[in-house]
Amino acid sequence: MTHSIISLKNISVSYDGEQVLKGFNLDIHDGEFVTLLGPSGCGKTTVLRTIAGFVTPEAGDVFFNETKINDLPPHKRELNTIFQKYALFPHLNVYDNIAFGMRIKRKKESEVKKTVVELLELVNLSGYAHRGIAQLSGGQQQRVAIARALANEPKILLLDEPLGALDLKLRKDMQVQLKEIQQQTGITFIFVTHDQEEALSMSDTVVVMDGGEIQQIGTPIDIYNEPKNAFVADFIGESNILDGLMLEDFKVRFAGHLFPCLDKGFSKNTPVDVVIRPEDITFVPQDASHIKGEVTNVTFKGVHYEIIVDVDGFKWMIQSTAYQAIGEKIGLSILPDAIHVMEKSDYSGTFGDYSTFSDEMEEDMILEEEAELEDENEV
Amino acid sequence: MKSKSKMLSAPYTIWMTIFIIVPVILVGYFAFTDKQGTFTLQNIIQVGEYSNVFIRSIWLGALATAISLVLGYPLAYIISQRTEKMQNVMIMLVMLPMWMNFLLRTYSWMTLLENNGIINNLLASVGLPRVQMINTAGAVVLGMVYNYIPYMILPLYNVLNKIDNSVIEAAQDLGADRRSVFLKVIIPMSMPGIISGITMVFVPAVSTFIISKMLGGGANLLIGDLIDMQFLGSAYNPNLGSAISLVLMVIILICMGIMNQFDDGENTGGMLL
Repeated sequence: MTHSIISLKNISVSYDGEQVLKGFNLDIHDGEFVTLLGPSGCGKTTVLRTIAGFVTPEAGDVFFNETKINDLPPHKRELNTIFQKYALFPHLNVYDNIAFGMRIKRKKESEVKKTVVELLELVNLSGYAHRGIAQLSGGQQQRVAIARALANEPKILLLDEPLGALDLKLRKDMQVQLKEIQQQTGITFIFVTHDQEEALSMSDTVVVMDGGEIQQIGTPIDIYNEPKNAFVADFIGESNILDGLMLEDFKVRFAGHLFPCLDKGFSKNTPVDVVIRPEDITFVPQDASHIKGEVTNVTFKGVHYEIIVDVDGFKWMIQSTAYQAIGEKIGLSILPDAIHVMEKSDYSGTFGDYSTFSDEMEEDMILEEEAELEDENEV
Repeated sequence: MKSKSKMLSAPYTIWMTIFIIVPVILVGYFAFTDKQGTFTLQNIIQVGEYSNVFIRSIWLGALATAISLVLGYPLAYIISQRTEKMQNVMIMLVMLPMWMNFLLRTYSWMTLLENNGIINNLLASVGLPRVQMINTAGAVVLGMVYNYIPYMILPLYNVLNKIDNSVIEAAQDLGADRRSVFLKVIIPMSMPGIISGITMVFVPAVSTFIISKMLGGGANLLIGDLIDMQFLGSAYNPNLGSAISLVLMVIILICMGIMNQFDDGENTGGMLL
């Protein structure tokens, strides 16, 4: 394993009395593509700004190549940032924007020119050198920002939701391009996003965050296949999360039945969360399965149908290429390797079935129901 | 649609015609005619006799503008860095003197600066010699700076306040220390504000007459005083007065034209006048 280029030790940060990070630890290895993934407000941008030096932690240390850099101002740190809204200099043209950092470092103008031309080629913007920033599209501005950040040959590139403002197709192109740049240059990338698909497709390592804490660190495959708790399972991809009881190794009970599974190492009769990915469930006739339900909703998604099945009040999501009509009585088949058992956590019970997709909608619906009940009581 | 917008703009067109275009034409007419109304270049030629007044006006006006910029820029910058609530309070304080009558404000400077004024009495009371302040060029510049500095601060504050903090962070991120951030990002980005601040201070300063009359005495005659004398004073000669006005107008236009060259061609519209 290569050494840590960035090490955060026990970092605490709060804004206006609100604790954003508390005792945060993270090691990032040289040459890695690391993604900080989490919902808005989870502290991922604060981690990035702490590394960049724009946020001074109240407690804890930041190490760069094993040197403490707590008191090093941003302009002396050997890393560069790509900002969310690009933050290009509006009074300078494309060339001068990219040349800014090198000119600050008093490089020879001939050298500056050589680098700018190379970088413009790298981001496919040759011929745009003398355009004004306002004349560029969002995607072009984005690429200028990338070139500008690379011009200083940073050891680390910090990317703060850099693709957030681009449309879907452009995003995909930029994802590929960023990944290529990272592989060509070997620079450590620390990428912040709330888009799980982006995180999975680009990263070597994904750091899933919520509430200022790391929920799980791992490769994209680990994170998806072996989520550590209900939050990770719910945030990365779609998941049916059920209450379960681990009876003994390879035997788990949920949805009122006993299932064989591949998980072990829990003590006997441990309450657990059980995750089943929607694509791992297949439809069978009702009498061939323990889990019987009724189709309540079908949405066509292109590649597959997203089918909601009500089983004794719990709404399962199933992704299948086979169409099922609403109202159809159906059985669900779950194979042992489709079952993933997790320890109970603070998130248990907060995520689960597919009555709603978002927490916000769910809360609103509960409030609405309560209001209706009150109305009825008054009458 | 088009005819409707034309109709709506009619009051402004009429207003501008009567109160801006017609007066300018009249000034031009008087400048090029004598008392009998026949065409002559005599007035324009005569303006040359007052070139020292022109030079003094432009010099004092430029000095006052430069001082306003040097004093106003840091203040505008400081204001723009405060919280929104604090900004509003500070901007109100900047504008507060403007609520008072211009004449009254200048009179109060007279009582402060006079040979037997408050400042000199204060100096005398602690045993220091009295200083000649009133009726000097310095007093005129002071009056100009005092009266016109809000016109410098407001446009500067406006542009400085709009500079996105992430742009400044980007500059720091690329290796710029505080000094470089200021010189290479903040100053260039506030150029439109600097230009309009300079315009808004220089134009009234160069053509003022009350300030020089009250604080400068007879020795510091400015163009404004000269024009004033031709219309309402002892030297009654509206034709010469118009000619002086016309020359002043041309000089200001040239100055502004030069100023706008420093602006990258962006945001120039509407800044000239």
